[in-house]
Amino acid sequence: MTMLSPDISLPRGVSDFLPDAAAKIGFIEAKIRHVFELWGFRRIIPPKLEYEDVLTIGMGEELKGKTYRFDDRQTGRLLAFPPDITPQIARIVATRLSGWPLPHRISYSGRVLRQTESQTGRSRELFQSGVELIGLDSPEADAEMVTMAIEAMQQLGFDNFKIDLGQVEFCRGIMAASGLDGQPLRELQEAIARKDVSAVSKVLAASTVTEASRREIAALPRLFGGREVVAEAEKVVVNQRSRSALANLRQVLDILDIHGVSDHLTIDLGEIRGLGYHTGITFEGFVSGLGEPVCSGGRYDNLTARYGFAAPATGFTFNVLSLLQALERRPDVEASTTRDFLLFNSRDDRREVLEVARLLRSRGYTAARDIIRREYEDSLTYARRMNIRSMLIIGDEACGNDTYTAVRVRDGKRFKITREMLLNEDLVTFIEENQQAIEN
Amino acid sequence: MNDWITIAIPKGRILEESVELFGRIGIDCRELLSDSRKLIFENAEQRMRYMIVRATDVPTYVEYGSADLGIVGKDTLMEQGKDLYEPLDLKFGYCRMMVAEPVNLAKNDDPSGWSHIRIATKYPHVAETYFASKGIQVEIIKLYGSIELAPLVGLSERIVDLVSTGETLRQNGLVEVESIAEITTRLIVNRASLKTKYQRITEIIQGLERELQSA
Repeated sequence: MTMLSPDISLPRGVSDFLPDAAAKIGFIEAKIRHVFELWGFRRIIPPKLEYEDVLTIGMGEELKGKTYRFDDRQTGRLLAFPPDITPQIARIVATRLSGWPLPHRISYSGRVLRQTESQTGRSRELFQSGVELIGLDSPEADAEMVTMAIEAMQQLGFDNFKIDLGQVEFCRGIMAASGLDGQPLRELQEAIARKDVSAVSKVLAASTVTEASRREIAALPRLFGGREVVAEAEKVVVNQRSRSALANLRQVLDILDIHGVSDHLTIDLGEIRGLGYHTGITFEGFVSGLGEPVCSGGRYDNLTARYGFAAPATGFTFNVLSLLQALERRPDVEASTTRDFLLFNSRDDRREVLEVARLLRSRGYTAARDIIRREYEDSLTYARRMNIRSMLIIGDEACGNDTYTAVRVRDGKRFKITREMLLNEDLVTFIEENQQAIEN
Repeated sequence: MNDWITIAIPKGRILEESVELFGRIGIDCRELLSDSRKLIFENAEQRMRYMIVRATDVPTYVEYGSADLGIVGKDTLMEQGKDLYEPLDLKFGYCRMMVAEPVNLAKNDDPSGWSHIRIATKYPHVAETYFASKGIQVEIIKLYGSIELAPLVGLSERIVDLVSTGETLRQNGLVEVESIAEITTRLIVNRASLKTKYQRITEIIQGLERELQSA
């Protein structure tokens, strides 16, 4: 027999995050937020809905094309879900905070929506946790962003990761010096984004750029690697704009040396991805085994001016779902999905069990009551499914006054535990490691 | 395991040429040519891993980082448009992506006068982008093989396909009327791999580059 069920499916590209995944996301976000706080950043919460025309002031063409838009019945204006939080922060800084002293150290943690092509399996909902440092054009500000990203990655337990630094002005200087425009420029940019040396030579062969400019362009797809890349670039590049960009990159690298994070850095001067609003140092974070970056950011000195308040700025954001993918099997992340106690009462009187629960909670343990009346075995199964590590049975016949039975949920082993022992430091570990099981 | 390099390679001619080319820079993967049904091979001493996959799946494995490097035809890359690095033209597997039509049609046909045409192809994305850039409306019929058959039985007037010697076209009464792109085999690299393993990957790229230049 087939049952016709109503269509209760979800749109593609969004997910329900059930307790285990949600706990892991919360764990990751909390670690990141803690680093942000340690550096003195304060959180703001922008709205999930804005006027489309206001939002697009701060967005590049690519993001505009990925924005969800619809009518506002109240005003007839077009509304949009923000596809990126940075333009919102730029607006807030330019309006609500314009009278405040600089610099602003702002953090955010939220979700954005982006249109994606169908069938790519990509999520349309992104979890972003990021910061904006507004009002500073100093290389120290750029270095602060990179160092914070590295500290957060370390706090999350990554060891083999790289922060890849770029400087968009370097590439733009070379493009401008070439004098190319229109179709050849677009082809060249695409070839450089792919590091496709043969396509770069092809564009060059068909153009009339100067010898010096030709050398600069031909070098671009191979200017990636370690610190030596800066010196290599200095040898080839003659245009002033790119040379200033290199000098700026050197200053930032020197400060990053002081921060002691240089081991985690790579450099890619041919990287022209990123958002249209970037104007200087940019960076992306990569961990091995994951195809997409886990964080990205950079300098954007012209963005707040679009909202009427000129200020240099830099910032970056973590893609929390990418981090989840990279981290979800780690023990400490797994541990964030567990709970400490399930309390099972064998008596009719609930006074003692509620009192024990209160005691456990006051000592910082999570304690849930198994309110349903059922067999002990069924409760144990429930505890396993819910990732609860220990059970406490109150009123077991074998136990005297002020004595309970503790159960290690993993294997069902039971122990006698006195009320006094509940005051043990790290009670859950004590139960999990106890060897003295009692016979039933 | 972290500094291992995984390469995705399709079966067939690309595999033979790749094994030969890698051999020249001291990466020994002749095991791949054995008649085994294994899909994954490891060389622990050189910390290399090889995956045998379908040509059209190579970019996917590399994009998601299951493989660090991949070897694949430019035709597949053009069709899929994935976000990958494509640092090296390996020069082998040369052919052309072109538009062909029956000899009889070609006699009095003027490609500059096309306005609405029907195309059979394995490469719908390439065909659509190419004709769109010329302002020509096109109805695409996606086929998976024997594309040359389509005009002979009236499925479409023209085809977009790869041609190397032109023999198949000739035997089926077709002629090339427009060339879209020259195709060769490419080395592709996952973005994160290039950053996190850049020393080993740069070594491979530079080694291959030297071999290709001296060849």
